[in-house]
Order: sequence, then structure tokens, then C-alpha cells
Amino acid sequence: MNMFNDPSMKEIVNDFCDEADSLFDQLENSLTTIEEDPSNTKELEKFGQVIDRIMGAAKSIGASEIATFCELGKVIGYKSSQVTDVPLIEVVVAILFDSLHMLRKMNQSLREGSDKSMNKLNTKAFVTRLNWLSEKFKDIERASCAIENTKANLSQNSIDELMKSLGL
Amino acid sequence: MALKPDIKILIVDDMSTMRKIIKNMLTQIGFTNISEADDGATAWPMIQSAIKEGKPYEFIVSDWNMPQLSGLDLLKNVRATPGLEKLPFLMITAEAEQGNVVIAVKAGVSNFIVKPFSPQVLKEKIDRIFK
Repeated sequence: MNMFNDPSMKEIVNDFCDEADSLFDQLENSLTTIEEDPSNTKELEKFGQVIDRIMGAAKSIGASEIATFCELGKVIGYKSSQVTDVPLIEVVVAILFDSLHMLRKMNQSLREGSDKSMNKLNTKAFVTRLNWLSEKFKDIERASCAIENTKANLSQNSIDELMKSLGL
Repeated sequence: MALKPDIKILIVDDMSTMRKIIKNMLTQIGFTNISEADDGATAWPMIQSAIKEGKPYEFIVSDWNMPQLSGLDLLKNVRATPGLEKLPFLMITAEAEQGNVVIAVKAGVSNFIVKPFSPQVLKEKIDRIFK
């Protein structure tokens, strides 16, 4: 789905941009709180929850670059909420601030409906940074709002198989 | 569509973008009686009121991750309510981890759908739930 060229998607995309802007403000508040107190891991968990919500909607409207950023931000947020290494948390916060800045720009490009303005943003370099940071937490399994120990993510087909095996 | 079009449906998602997308899809499939709630905490009183009014919801489509009352907790509330033990409940999630799926199945979810999804996939899920 290319949201830039589909008039029927315009209203939904505009709604997404408005909602995302509001949630970016929440993310920024969370990061400011963590910056002031890097031991506040609950706020990192909250960061993960909020960015998770943006990710789901971004995926659904086909805003894949925003979704990728949010997915990495979510993993980093949830995983870093499970560590107590303050210097590492400070690096996390700095990179997440930069990523949030980039997310705002990407959202603005989406609102303007221009492929060109999106292409001007050097998102690949940021994704590389986020992946690098995500690797720092590779030994931590929980990367979502799971409430018990979890393993790998499942595709829709795998879920269907699992549901079948569970009698549904 | 085998199901009656005016089946009473409640969409629960904290992102209005998602509610619009899901509502559009359900409308495309042919459903006409669709309500929305912006959180599990908003949905739960709506579900209770609908029961009292004698017009209970017949299908819940809920996101998992919501700020006040999660989809899982909403599901648990629903299943703990006499008369709603079998209410069809479709859980939507951006990412499905195996542990989460098992937890939701144990809590009585009717089926799972992962974002992003198409109207066709949604229809298949609904057909499977109501078969």
C-alpha cells in the first residue's frame, strides 16, 4: 500500500499523524524523566508501551519506515527497562531522543504526502544505530508487554498453527 | 456473508487510526452495527451496560496493548462474567510472542490477528470464530 498516492487513505493518514505527534510528546516527556533519573526503569517500560502503539498503527497504514523505527525503539525501551547499568541507560536515552527527533521529521514528511521529503531523511543510518543499540540487549528476552517469559515472535501462520494445536 | 450484518460489534483500541481502519474493514466485509471504545477501561462499562439493556455485544475486536486496561485484562473480565463465557473475542496485536498467545488462549481468546492485516484475513478470522 502506498499511502502517498492513495486519496482514500489521506484521512486515515492525517489522523495517524495527529495521534503520532501527540504520542511523540508523551515519549519526549518519558525520555526527559529518564534523563533526570536513569534508574527510573518504569518510565522506560512506559516508553516501550507508547511507541508500541504507534508501531501497530504505522504498520497498518503502510508507513514502514516509521514502523521500523518504532519497532526498534520498542525493543530498546522494553529491554533497557530490565537493566540497571546507568551509563548504558544514558546512551539509550540520548539515542532515543535522536530517534524521536527523526520520527517527528518522518511523520511530518508523511503528513506532507511526499516521497521526496521522506527520501531526504537519512533513516538508514539511524536504523543502523538503533540496531547496534538493540544488540546491547540481546541477552534479554522480553521485548514487548509480555507478562511471562517469551520466546520468538510468531507470524500469523505460526499463530494459526499454535491456535489449532491448542484446539481453536 | 453468512453472519447477520447487524451483529453487535465493539472495537477496542486506544489508537483512533486503528479503530478507523478496523471499522472500515468490518464495513467492507458487510457489518453495520459497530461501536468503538478507546481503551479496555472504556469498553468494560459499555459491555456491562449493553448486558443490562438486554442488547449485549456479540463480538469484541480488541487490541492487546492499551494504557489503562489491556486487551488481556478486558478478556479476563469478559470471561469472568456469567453469560459472556463464550462471547467471541478477537485479539489484535502488533507482535505476537508465543508466550502471549498461550496466555491469551488460556484466558479464553477466540482468535488472534497480527497487525498489519487485510480485510480478507480479518474475514477469515471471523469466519473461523463463528463457524
